[in-house]
Amino acid sequence: MNKHLARPLALIGVAILLLLVGQILMPGFLSLGQVSNQLKIAAFLGIFGLCQTIVIAAGGQGLDLSVGASATLGGILGAALMQGSNGLTAPALLAAVAAGGLVGIVNGVGIALMRVPPLVATLAIASVVDGGTILGVSIVHPANSASPLLVAIGGWASGGVPNIVIVWAVLGAIAVWLLSASAWGKRLTATGANPLAALLSGNHVTGIRIAAYGLSGALAALAGFLLTGYVGQAFFGLGDPYILTSVVVAVIGGATLAGGRAPYAGVAAAAIMMTVLVSLLTALAIGEAGRQIIFGLVLLGFLALDRMMKGSLRAVILSRFRTPTPIAAASSAPDTSRGG
Amino acid sequence: MSAVTGQPRTRLAVAPWQALRRSGLGPGLLMLLVVVSLNIALQPDFFSGSSLSGNIATFAPTILICVAQAVIVLSRELDLSLGAGVSLINCVMASLPQDKLGGPLGVIAVAVLVALLLGAVNGLLVAYAGLPSLVATFATGAIWFGLALTIMPQPGGVISDAIGDGYAGTLLGIPVPLLIIAVAMACWALLARHRAGRRIIAVGSNPEAAAVAGIPLRRTKLLAYLVAWMLVCLGAIAISAQTMSGDPRLGQSYTLASVAAVVIGGVSLGGGRGTPWGALIGALVLGLVTNVIYFAGISSSWQEFVKGFVIVAALGFMVLEGRRRA
Repeated sequence: MNKHLARPLALIGVAILLLLVGQILMPGFLSLGQVSNQLKIAAFLGIFGLCQTIVIAAGGQGLDLSVGASATLGGILGAALMQGSNGLTAPALLAAVAAGGLVGIVNGVGIALMRVPPLVATLAIASVVDGGTILGVSIVHPANSASPLLVAIGGWASGGVPNIVIVWAVLGAIAVWLLSASAWGKRLTATGANPLAALLSGNHVTGIRIAAYGLSGALAALAGFLLTGYVGQAFFGLGDPYILTSVVVAVIGGATLAGGRAPYAGVAAAAIMMTVLVSLLTALAIGEAGRQIIFGLVLLGFLALDRMMKGSLRAVILSRFRTPTPIAAASSAPDTSRGG
Repeated sequence: MSAVTGQPRTRLAVAPWQALRRSGLGPGLLMLLVVVSLNIALQPDFFSGSSLSGNIATFAPTILICVAQAVIVLSRELDLSLGAGVSLINCVMASLPQDKLGGPLGVIAVAVLVALLLGAVNGLLVAYAGLPSLVATFATGAIWFGLALTIMPQPGGVISDAIGDGYAGTLLGIPVPLLIIAVAMACWALLARHRAGRRIIAVGSNPEAAAVAGIPLRRTKLLAYLVAWMLVCLGAIAISAQTMSGDPRLGQSYTLASVAAVVIGGVSLGGGRGTPWGALIGALVLGLVTNVIYFAGISSSWQEFVKGFVIVAALGFMVLEGRRRA
């Protein structure tokens, strides 16, 4: 248990350290308003991070680069259906999530059944979904503003705690249970760790992978829908900033691209840490150039740290970037050390 | 299947159609045929000299960058920093004093040095530090982009006329862009016939077997990155010669386009399968599709959709083809 908590705690520690550094450099950085604002931003990143956690856990170089497109679709479709009215918010939410889930299932079918590499499949589907969304909007010209209810959920606070953070906490708790305690979670990580073994022990590997991508799409659309409330309206590119940052927080949070691990507590902590880091850099008036460079260096640092902790660099080099064939994945255990 | 498919090793007894099928170029060529026919239908003077050379000048950077990605993919890695690298090289070139450093040749020499440095960093991180290329090159891509923004926060600067004129000109009656592509592909053909190129393919095809056979994995992967970044450098110079100025966001779209072109061209993302020729075909398909969309007067709202659809169609082709091969 300790092993599972070490990373989230360390990441939260780094976040607190960054907050303290910010407070020293700029008094007021640690104010309650600031912190709750950062949690709000972290909540969205955290939900997108959950998408990646699930599909990465499913293995076979799992990735979902269509989360941005699904989120934009969810936001725009949701806003179009709710037409700014509170009463239509719930049906709009359902429709948005269903649309995102559908995109995810298409991804999953391409990846699990047709064996297209996840990177390529989700990118391709993303361009179709983005294109379709642009096309649809240019024909229909739908409403794009969020209902007051959605604005309240996305942007307001109740009792000092931002509503969106409560939503994230509930989602996060469900996610931690689903991924590490439920039977489905065990099946998912078993599929990611060793698809052949999972198949032979009676798991529906293909179905699990399709469901993982479906879940990712649905969550991305939900995040886009909530983002619409936070921003006030839906627009193109709503979800784009989260495509790669979600992968980054998943990796920093402890998901390994080889699959088989779904450490959502770590990913959630990573989302908080990254948000604090970015806001500290912004507050220090470090421009986009500096932020990009520091961002890249931090990511490289975490990757290197991961490698060092796993030891044996040579064994790692032997088991790189694999095709999603069950047998190859089965033989890619990190300890294939051999001389020569 | 065998270690080095994709290379015409057994050219004696294989029927041409069988060789084509084995190379994985079939779907890409078919798509190329379709888009070329569409281009001809929409643009009657497609085969005229000026139209052809204009097209080649426009497509050359894409082709070079896609071929670069193919070389890396062949070694079973990936590089998501190519686009940002193009921007960085472009910004460095545009911010140099164009008349010093020995004129345009000096500027080009600096561009080559920068490209080699970027390729070496990526290669060292992936091959020697053992970081997963997907995330590591995404991280270095952010760094390249940050550096490009540092050098040039806004688009600006100038590229000397000599480079622009040189790129637009002809050498021995052949348009320079065509010459650059030809030289690049000839270099790959030469490399693929010699030890270094065979090693890249062998490492991508089966790293364990390659290691057992005594191929130095790390050095070979580093080599793949360096070769690829030389091609990226050529692409960056070509696009700089067209835009004649610097722009920190110039290269952004190339990263994902290069991955798409590699897939359309039948280069397996699992490494070791396919040839850079496939990436060249993939790049042509992507470029010509853009042409078709432009000449057919398709409204801009359809463009994204059509492009995405073409890539998905290509994937479908690849899957069907793969099924039959298996």
